[in-house]
Amino acid sequence: MRRPLALAVLAITLIGTVTACGGEEDDTGGTDTVSVGVIPIVDVAPIYLGIEQGFFAERDIEVELTEAQGGAAIVPGVAAEEFDFGFSNMTSLLLAQSSGLPVEVVANGVASTGEAGADFGAVMVAADSPVQTPADLADATIAVNTLNNIGDTTIRESVRAAGGDPADIGFTEVAFPDMPAQLAAGNVDAVWVVEPFKSIVEADGGRPVAWNYVDAAPDLTVAAYFATTEMVQEDADLVARFAAAVAESLQYATDNPDAVRDILATYTDISTDILAAMTLPAWPAEVNRDSVERLAELGETDGIFENPPDVDALLP
Amino acid sequence: MNLLRRALALTALPAILLGAWWIASDGSTSFYFPPLREILAEFGETWTADRWAADVLPSVARLGAGYGASCLLGVGLGLLIGRTTWLMHLAEPVLEFARAVPPPVLVPVIMLFAGIGDTMKTAVIVSGCVWPILLNTIAGVRSADAVQLDTAAAFGLGRTRTLVSVVVPAASPRIVTGMRQALAVGVILMVISEMFAAQSGLGFAIVQFQRSYAIPAMWSGILLLGCLGVALAALFTLFDRAVLHWYHRMRERSA
Repeated sequence: MRRPLALAVLAITLIGTVTACGGEEDDTGGTDTVSVGVIPIVDVAPIYLGIEQGFFAERDIEVELTEAQGGAAIVPGVAAEEFDFGFSNMTSLLLAQSSGLPVEVVANGVASTGEAGADFGAVMVAADSPVQTPADLADATIAVNTLNNIGDTTIRESVRAAGGDPADIGFTEVAFPDMPAQLAAGNVDAVWVVEPFKSIVEADGGRPVAWNYVDAAPDLTVAAYFATTEMVQEDADLVARFAAAVAESLQYATDNPDAVRDILATYTDISTDILAAMTLPAWPAEVNRDSVERLAELGETDGIFENPPDVDALLP
Repeated sequence: MNLLRRALALTALPAILLGAWWIASDGSTSFYFPPLREILAEFGETWTADRWAADVLPSVARLGAGYGASCLLGVGLGLLIGRTTWLMHLAEPVLEFARAVPPPVLVPVIMLFAGIGDTMKTAVIVSGCVWPILLNTIAGVRSADAVQLDTAAAFGLGRTRTLVSVVVPAASPRIVTGMRQALAVGVILMVISEMFAAQSGLGFAIVQFQRSYAIPAMWSGILLLGCLGVALAALFTLFDRAVLHWYHRMRERSA
């Protein structure tokens, strides 16, 4: 007798939401207020800096950052026009685009440093692990934050590049903050971590065995800021100003790594030791188109897309 | 006639709701709310025999294990605590505290000692399911008729005989109520446990569909989850009737 009620609630919610779609645009005295969905992680430090430095205000944009629980909530949030812009990793955007969600990249987000040994993300193992090379990961259990996404497709490429067969890797989903403890407890053989968790694992004695972002493509674009196609077409001026402000912010972050570490202390709980020790990602102003095409190829190889993604439609 | 009316009463509302959903969503172009037509078409394509074996059965097995363990643990401890006054006074505040802790926040902790495999998922289910059963069992035991207990004592029934013949029957309606509540909690926790460190399962599959923007498939998974709930509730009603037939008859007579 309990279930029909659940169905009723489901149906009512559904009908309500179908009719209640549609957002609104705020125009107050020439300044556009835009909401941007971000995850409060290292990758988005430039936008926090850009707001602080007034790069957005100069262009008559007031940014309201909304910190989403996880990346998975941002794309639906932008699609539902809850956010005007969002921050998402490139594979998620390719997935969204290939599934028919009309999203487009408007500005670069974050990129790999392109240096094996000094990137902001790596596959790490415990100090006493028998795993020495990426090829040794072929039959390992590896924790990734999200399955069928940028982590596992690039790790498979690392294993392939080292001559291993990635078919038997046991990927399992673990949230980044839980990974150091899971690795220490021996529940997984390896963890794929980005900063600051990479430095936390290193502080526990972990060692990197694969630089998956570096192996996937030279100077891989990892994530970007995006909007709906509708927004890009109908509000081209605002989108252009937002993109210019983000580009300036990325440049500022590149030029001022100390400012990045300072601002990280304001919106994350990263400890001072780790803040000083960690490797910052690269923040080039432009999306590296070749690397996005590479990510699309890797995703297709691993069969994560139902339809082939259209990189040209996604990128500006 | 009576049977027909009952069948009608059971199916009427779901049919109306599904109909309303179908009509309201028929022309929908919304990405996240596709027409029911599409969802149902996707249902057949998605939930193939392979998927049942890979995702549905492991979920149901973990739910069965977790729920079974909760029943044993809840009833066993409940009888013990309910029959031991000092233990009850001692345990009560702790129990109230423990039941108020939402199991999802415990998952990362449970992962540390139970690993990331099926043990962890079963433990998560137990961590939520056990409380309604335990607390209801205690309450049921406490509500045993004092006259009956005195009579049992007067006739010199041993502790075990009293427990089996007087206490358990008296507590059983409350125990079954607790078990019914726990079943609903169990289904929810089955899904939640699969959102952490999972490689298979119904909840895992739904999250994966959502993340890969396979929205009709996601809705089909949610429908399947609802159907699983209905099936389990129906099974439970059968169990309830079988175990408590005497109690239901007694209530009908007194009504």
